[in-house]
Amino acid sequence: MLEIITPSVSFFVLLSIFFIGAISSLIYQKNDSIANFLSSFFSIIGSLCGLFFSVSMIIYGKNLSFIINYPYSSFFKISFHIDLLSAFFIFIISLISLFCSIYGVGYLKHFYKKYSIGVFGFFYNLLIGSLLLVVTASNGIFFLIAWEIMSISSYFLVVYDRYDTDNIKAGFLYLIMTYVGTVFIILSFLFIYKYIGSFEFIDIKSGISLIPLSIKNNIFIFTIIGFGTKAGIIPFHIWLPAAHPAAPSHVSALMSGVMIKTGVYMMIRLFVDILQPIPVWWGILILIIGSISSLLGVLYALTEHDIKRLLAFHSIENIGIILLGLGSALIFYSLNMPELALLGLMASLFHTLNHAIFKSLLFLSAGSVINEMHTRNIEEYGGIIKYMPQTAMFFLIGSMAISALPPFNGFFSEWLTYQALFQGVAQLNLSFQGIFIIAASSLAFTGGLALTCFVKAFGIIFLARPRSTKVSSIKESPLSMRIGMGFLALMSILFGLFSGYTSRLLEKIGKDLSIFKDTNYFTSASFYQGIDIKNSFASVSAPIIFVVLIIIIFAVIFIFTFVINKNQKIKIENTWGCGLNLNKRAEITATGFARSIILVFKGILKPSIQNEVEYHDADSRYLPKSRVITIHVKNIYNYYFYQPLRNIINIISLKTKNIQSGNINAYISYIFISLIIALLSVL
Amino acid sequence: MNILFLKFLFGVMFLTLVFLHLTKKNFLATVAYSIQSLVITIVLFNSFLETNNFYLLLVVFLSLVIKVIIAPIFFTNLIKKHALAFSVSTYFSTPLILIIISILTFIAYSDKFLPLTSIIPNNQALLSIALSVIFMSLFLIINRKGALSQIIGILSLENSILAFIIFAGLEQSPGLQIGVIFNMFIWIIIASVFISMIYKHFGTLNVTSMKNLKD
Amino acid sequence: MTILIWIIQLFFVPVISPLIIGVIKKIKAKFQNRQGSSIFQFYKDLWKLMYKDEVVSKDASWIFLYAPFIIFTVTIAVGASIPLFASFLNGPTSDLLVIVYIMAISTFFLSLAGMDTGSAFGGFGSSREMTISALAEGGLIFSLLTVALVSSSTNVFIISGINILNHSQHLLSIMLAFIGFFIILLAETTRFPFDNPSTHLELTMIHEAMILEYSGKRLALMEWASANKLIIFIALGSNLFFPLGIAQNISWLALVIGIIVFLLKILFFSTIIAILESSVAKFRFFRLPDLLITSFILNVIAIVLIN
Repeated sequence: MLEIITPSVSFFVLLSIFFIGAISSLIYQKNDSIANFLSSFFSIIGSLCGLFFSVSMIIYGKNLSFIINYPYSSFFKISFHIDLLSAFFIFIISLISLFCSIYGVGYLKHFYKKYSIGVFGFFYNLLIGSLLLVVTASNGIFFLIAWEIMSISSYFLVVYDRYDTDNIKAGFLYLIMTYVGTVFIILSFLFIYKYIGSFEFIDIKSGISLIPLSIKNNIFIFTIIGFGTKAGIIPFHIWLPAAHPAAPSHVSALMSGVMIKTGVYMMIRLFVDILQPIPVWWGILILIIGSISSLLGVLYALTEHDIKRLLAFHSIENIGIILLGLGSALIFYSLNMPELALLGLMASLFHTLNHAIFKSLLFLSAGSVINEMHTRNIEEYGGIIKYMPQTAMFFLIGSMAISALPPFNGFFSEWLTYQALFQGVAQLNLSFQGIFIIAASSLAFTGGLALTCFVKAFGIIFLARPRSTKVSSIKESPLSMRIGMGFLALMSILFGLFSGYTSRLLEKIGKDLSIFKDTNYFTSASFYQGIDIKNSFASVSAPIIFVVLIIIIFAVIFIFTFVINKNQKIKIENTWGCGLNLNKRAEITATGFARSIILVFKGILKPSIQNEVEYHDADSRYLPKSRVITIHVKNIYNYYFYQPLRNIINIISLKTKNIQSGNINAYISYIFISLIIALLSVL
Repeated sequence: MNILFLKFLFGVMFLTLVFLHLTKKNFLATVAYSIQSLVITIVLFNSFLETNNFYLLLVVFLSLVIKVIIAPIFFTNLIKKHALAFSVSTYFSTPLILIIISILTFIAYSDKFLPLTSIIPNNQALLSIALSVIFMSLFLIINRKGALSQIIGILSLENSILAFIIFAGLEQSPGLQIGVIFNMFIWIIIASVFISMIYKHFGTLNVTSMKNLKD
Repeated sequence: MTILIWIIQLFFVPVISPLIIGVIKKIKAKFQNRQGSSIFQFYKDLWKLMYKDEVVSKDASWIFLYAPFIIFTVTIAVGASIPLFASFLNGPTSDLLVIVYIMAISTFFLSLAGMDTGSAFGGFGSSREMTISALAEGGLIFSLLTVALVSSSTNVFIISGINILNHSQHLLSIMLAFIGFFIILLAETTRFPFDNPSTHLELTMIHEAMILEYSGKRLALMEWASANKLIIFIALGSNLFFPLGIAQNISWLALVIGIIVFLLKILFFSTIIAILESSVAKFRFFRLPDLLITSFILNVIAIVLIN
């Protein structure tokens, strides 16, 4: 049966489902609910087909590649190459878009009558379709076309809620950053074309020795900037915290969970597959970028009080962790340790999958809350757990997963990343060991800080008393939204439990890349369905942890509730406030919660506090009428990177403005001089 | 006609261009332009005599009529109507103009442009003169502030390119000749229309006061 | 036989921990020239609390109600997974990272429970606890990593099974890592100079602030869990860094010696902690991150010195 599903026809069926969905929702845009139904229906069906397709490809283990010969040119062919890595990313895309689309059925209802749902459905399906094209394209020009379609459709989705001007600005910033990245990608492809003479990935791979090393280094830098802008590494991440809050929630989930991973996909494709052999310093640079991104991402997340900006910064942090795995893989491979490289790649891929799942879950549940509260500021939330218990549960599962608490899936991918880094510390000599120690310490601190941030987020949003009166009027989210979130939470638990089996599959996927063809496995399936590192350095077993915890907790609850003092009475009273009635001002605020740790890191975050007082009587200055306290955190990437860049560009522009003097004679003299120069250089 | 006569004609053309650079009155510029056009016409006639191409005769006739007779008359009328007697404004002073002209001529005669001027080795001297005339016409356009002088500069650029083409051995194709005629027609029409329009709008043909278009 | 050992392993930590708390309090009292309460007082306190009724805030949710159970579960699960008196046992939950992160679960729920009632004390306690915890986690992982690298395994039983003294060339690394670990121990078990376990003043509370609203059974569980955590950290510190006398094979003699040696080690550590608590004042809150970063740097130096 697997044979029927895998040939190229099924892939085109898959793509066409999304395009049909796009066109049909556009056609029926006059009627909101029909457009919603059509777009959701086709994206759900398409995602399911994508899931079947990718799972059968991974289990079947065969690659797929086909070319449509576009008759007009020699360098542009519509060619696809789906190996197991692409199939894995198709799996991630389909999984997340499935649940986001289910969620969207209920979520879009509050956009009815306000905006055109048909247009939304068009761009949404187009986005998912182009995501599939991006991870399977095998020709440089075709890849760039798919990349552009993806960027543009996501831009339109980001500015969908256009009555809010902040969203327009955010979308504009996103568009600029995407195009800056695309420029660098085009540059690198052009460089490759100059030396290889073809845009086909297969040709590039076989002819890689034609490119001299200095050009290869340039290509590396351009590619890092280009794909890093999409993935959101510091300092090219500035669009992420602006664009993710602006988009509708399930689009944010899709963008954060899947779209930024395409940057990671291309980095893996280029650095691990196509551009090999590579010098060691590439891996070191990626490792350093990963460390910086993860630390700064989580530190800035701590300062945020807009729930979606907070989640966007956590995406940056997790991309940093993924890059830690990738960087270690590259370093190991360049130092001739392919087994460890496979381990690092496995860790990176597993974390990609896990992050997609739990980040989407967090965005969806945050979206449900925002939907009801109509504000993104968490300082106005509080006590929501009593009104939206299931959403709170899903957010809790997402928080536990992202903070890498066992037995959820985040822990196991971070465990694998730690193992890759520990092996590096154990086995390498001093110069590389230092880099790995830095990487491991950034991972350790990131884990702790992420835990802090999610305690703050979950606690402020859901627990204690409401901080504004809007809370009392909210209700639990509609069923479709809860189904979407619930399944993602279930996926989170399942991928945690079956992490052993998943890492088997990931090893198989990693081995499919040609450089790893002859590598032995560094991990093996242990007796308890866990992951074992070779040389019995470490092992972990997910089901056992889960079972142990569940058994003990049930035993504890049983003993202490039913055996000891079973006649105990529990009285419900107000919280003790030293005799006063506690109002909403008595509880901890998000600003207060995070202030301690921001002050600990004040070298990086540069917090500042300003006091303005207005007195009743300006002369006597005893009785203040109002006080305004501004608490501010400086964004160092803005201050040290973008501000100087802006100033330089402004200065250069002002100087070059003088060329355009408006004087005809000047223009003709430009022509004359350039004519003479051209003639001189040609002759 | 022998090469000596042709060299003489080209020399005349060269001198008219120099005169164009130095003259201060529009009317004299127009006269110089008509002399130059006459020279070109004679050269074209010469090539007709050598090739016996009928179309070339047609071109000769047309250029004679338009460039030598009608265009200067038209320009003179324009000058009288709008009282554009003077066209003095230039960017560079006269000694500097002469220095630059000599530099341009020197460049045109230098080894750098030898591949260009040796297309037909027999005519190398002619081609070099033609090339220097091209450069000088361009310089005229750059240098002058009056729109009329600039238009004349463009037209003389056209003449010099034509001279270059004839002796680079390219005048045989009929398409070229038709192109030349077409070009002449359109240029004259547009130039005159343009000038009258500019004058109506700006009140002057002085280019420096036309800066209002620039932000 | 192995089953018996596992049962002892499972119950050892919860049973012994109140005793150790009593011992520490007694030593501190002697320093302060008082009689002090009996060393079994904590058992009596737990018994008393179990049979009291509870008052629960109406702002609290199920997290408040179930957090004590979760936290206590975590301490029992970790207590059974670490080498106490025997190093030949092996379990799938004994990986170093698993232990660190399972304990992070307890920190997570403790902080959430502190915020759940909406009192000002609880929120501040959670904030400070998370600040310290975030910084301590790095130090903890790295100090344990040092010994893991020395014994080339991250399974804590295997680490305790090797004879550290055989690796005498790494003695300096192990000592530095131990100092780092000791600082983390004081941080995570809310001892001086990080936190005062017997105070109820807002300025000095971290752990106490978070459990302020608990009463009855749940309070008993929280306090018991905190005592368990102390034993767990002492066990890790003594058995990973100085695994002398730990039982290496299954025989009654080795086990008895193992248990006695372990108790002696615990007493030794409690004495040191008590002396520390009696002689050092609690640090101001913003000096604590410096101490934690110092611990982290010591651990990094230890790792670098291994090679």
